[in-house]
Amino acid sequence: MAETFDIAIVGAGITGCAIARQLARYDLSICVVEAANDIALGASKANGGLVHAGYDPAPGTVKAQVNARGCELYGTWAQELGFLFRRTGSMVLGFNDEDRAHLEQLRSNGLVNGVPELSIVGPDRIHELEPRASADATCALWCPSTGFVDPFEVAIAALENAVANGVTFMRSAPVEAIEVAGSGDDARFTLATPASNVRCRYLINAAGNGAADISHMAGAEEFQMVWRQGNIVVLEKEPRTLMPLYPVPTPVSKGVIVTGTVHGNTVITATAAVREPGDTQTYAADVNALLTGAHKLVPDLDTRRVVRAFAGGRPVIQGTNDFFIGQSAVVPGLFQAAGIQSPGVASAPAIAERMELVMREAGVALRERADWNPIRHAPDDFDRTPLARKEELIESDPAWGQIVCRCETVPEAEIVAAIRRRPGAVSVEGVKRRCRAGMGRCQSGFCQSRVVAILARELGCDPSEVLLEDTGSWLVEGPLKGVR
Amino acid sequence: MAKFKSSAIDCGVVEAVQTQAFDVVVIGGGPAGMAAALAAHKAGARVAIVEREQHLGGILRQCIHPGFGLSHFKQELTGPEYAQRFIDQVHATDIALFLNSMVIGIDSGEPAEDTAVHTVTLMSPTGMLQLTGRAVVLAMGCRERTRSEIKIPGSRPAGMFTAGLAQRYINIENLKPGSRAVILGSGDIGLIMARRCTLEGISVEGVYELMPYANGLRRNVKNCLDDFGIPLHLSTTVTRVIGHDRVEAVEVSQVDERLASIAGTERIVPCDTLLLSVGLIPENELSVAAGVELDPRTRGAVVDQSLQTGVPGIFACGNVLHVHDLADNVTTESERAGAAAAAYALGGGAETNAVADTSCELTVSPAGIAGYALPGRITAVALTKLNFRVRRPVDTARVRILANGEEVFAGKVRAFKPSVMESFPLPAKVIQRALDLGASEIVLSVDPVEEA
Repeated sequence: MAETFDIAIVGAGITGCAIARQLARYDLSICVVEAANDIALGASKANGGLVHAGYDPAPGTVKAQVNARGCELYGTWAQELGFLFRRTGSMVLGFNDEDRAHLEQLRSNGLVNGVPELSIVGPDRIHELEPRASADATCALWCPSTGFVDPFEVAIAALENAVANGVTFMRSAPVEAIEVAGSGDDARFTLATPASNVRCRYLINAAGNGAADISHMAGAEEFQMVWRQGNIVVLEKEPRTLMPLYPVPTPVSKGVIVTGTVHGNTVITATAAVREPGDTQTYAADVNALLTGAHKLVPDLDTRRVVRAFAGGRPVIQGTNDFFIGQSAVVPGLFQAAGIQSPGVASAPAIAERMELVMREAGVALRERADWNPIRHAPDDFDRTPLARKEELIESDPAWGQIVCRCETVPEAEIVAAIRRRPGAVSVEGVKRRCRAGMGRCQSGFCQSRVVAILARELGCDPSEVLLEDTGSWLVEGPLKGVR
Repeated sequence: MAKFKSSAIDCGVVEAVQTQAFDVVVIGGGPAGMAAALAAHKAGARVAIVEREQHLGGILRQCIHPGFGLSHFKQELTGPEYAQRFIDQVHATDIALFLNSMVIGIDSGEPAEDTAVHTVTLMSPTGMLQLTGRAVVLAMGCRERTRSEIKIPGSRPAGMFTAGLAQRYINIENLKPGSRAVILGSGDIGLIMARRCTLEGISVEGVYELMPYANGLRRNVKNCLDDFGIPLHLSTTVTRVIGHDRVEAVEVSQVDERLASIAGTERIVPCDTLLLSVGLIPENELSVAAGVELDPRTRGAVVDQSLQTGVPGIFACGNVLHVHDLADNVTTESERAGAAAAAYALGGGAETNAVADTSCELTVSPAGIAGYALPGRITAVALTKLNFRVRRPVDTARVRILANGEEVFAGKVRAFKPSVMESFPLPAKVIQRALDLGASEIVLSVDPVEEA
């Protein structure tokens, strides 16, 4: 069995989802093929959520071209796609003269890269902008355009919008082989996945850490991915959300950054160490480095209140620190969005824009559809809803008044909506990423069994078939005694 | 301290929402809430209980093991039996029950007004409702500390459960969470779950404890581990979780006297389930939003001898105040809170409450090996119940009360254990003595003594 599309996008991370959303406005049949059972399960999930402004990448790199533009586009994307985005601005804190020289360098990078309104500020202004910033900071690069998002919310919102505009999403479909026919063929590429084959005229490689494998399978550019692993820590909610505070960057990473999140938590992100591909373990040394680094920036941070520590791998192409966005020089019709490490989240909307341009220039026919709808309405977020609306919701359906997750105030109706949306949640973690049930301080101690019951009911399966995340992540074996 | 404002708690008093008036509103229908409500009702107050679940009883509903009621009823009961005694009593009164209802905010009006009425906003599948009360009793209980809070490195597969969640799966949902379990933490819940798992055919590979001593009650170590041949590994902790999708094993390591893992002692223990019994945290998000000051040591409210928090008319009791090891103690404490709340509500303010004495204002601080002291404030010269817990076990130590550096009381030399929440009656004359010395603070110090 094989379905044929104009375009297949491999990978439903933030890059693939953003590209799908960008191309969905055109009269093209598009399929997003994802190895995992949900959206954003790779690098996009294990991410600090920062929308970096773009002063960091070296001028002239692809990163430099898409980062500032991506950051700029986030305002529109957030509005159209209904995801949370806060543009708080940020500071890179300097503690001595050497740091100040670095800040000057970042500022001139930023000017070349098109980052607006950068300035170097002194202690008084630092304190005014973020009262909790270290009093030892003598200077800072103040960058008003920096912001933050929930990275999986962005990916989910983008793909929901794409699907609403006709894009097909195939989950649990790891690409195992790619056949490439002649360049004149309308279905040039055949992707073999365990369940079915996908044929397409154009192939977009947005496979994150799997991008080198996809390129290799298609007989295109050979490159090696390096798993530059990062640990990240999430702390409990604060009375006031912190502005992102950066240290002066190192040659390989931006260093340990402290930032607020769109939900009012504090995130400490991220360490950088090359580890075995696929290693998503947290390490004691990394977590300690995060907490120590964070205290340097925000001395009064209560680092005992850890809600979650996690880790992921940045998809880095060996030998370059840059993104690779463009048509394959070896296999025309294959378009690469590879090596999308940091600042991948910040750049995503601009990567999608650039991919569109690259395809247009390559001669892909892009005819606008009359019925394209750029708007995605976010599901009702009960916790953030005004009281009057809460009342309306409960009146419309009592399940809105049935709170399942106490820490994040998530009612049953919101969980059901997360499962029923297209593409919907199929796992406990999928529910969590969509509506925050289980994301709070008790980490699902109170609500997990209830979420399992709702998933089993909605998916029509037994609780023993409900997964925490993907295949193999069963939560309960089955009934204890034969009373069911 | 900064007032926590979450988006969930941005509600003030809302006009359109229906309101019902009470003297005392109790938040939480577990053992603490029920005891407080019954005591307040007995004192003549009109009382409401707000409970998130569809049933009263709180966590006791899933604690099907015996060991409850020995002090309160002089009889050994299971958790549900113990709870049922209070549920029956509540049902025999006209205490108003708001079940399946979650409190989303407490509005206390202007803090300066002694006569302020508190407005509790709650929601349920039938809609929003506001309850007013001259007094509010916080009895929300506690939650379990998670893997993240104790920073266990490794992967994040399915199969890691807090002991209470596993207990819910087994005792309430009739679901088997795994086949081969490792338990981290020798607190009472961990010990009880070791036995429970064994009885349900889940093999328990061992109980691992960071400290050099068991953290649970002695009787639980015997009844739950020793009797079933389950090994207890002291000074050993889980240093890595292994398995991508489901737990496949844990790495355990011995720790030194500073509780740091010792390199070279790592051992892999195959299992599909990791249960965590690594501490309980009072659930005070609602309290903080209501302006209640917390003690960083207990993570519960700072209260006075009548269990009143810093916000006039708001009282706290049970595990939301400090973590207890026996439900019976929760009951006793909560009866005091309920009675004090009723006295406050019916008496019309702080001045008439108990024997409040404007000339008495003492703070209480822990010292020595005392981990905390409760109440944190004393505002009356009367026999006062002091609670504390020691941070490490000692065979010989004594309680000393200090005021202005002078010892005003010394208790008997005896053994103390961290697993036991201690209760100590502080005589009125000792408080008077501290005041006579011009002290503004008394120190509860538990000091190890050399055996003669």
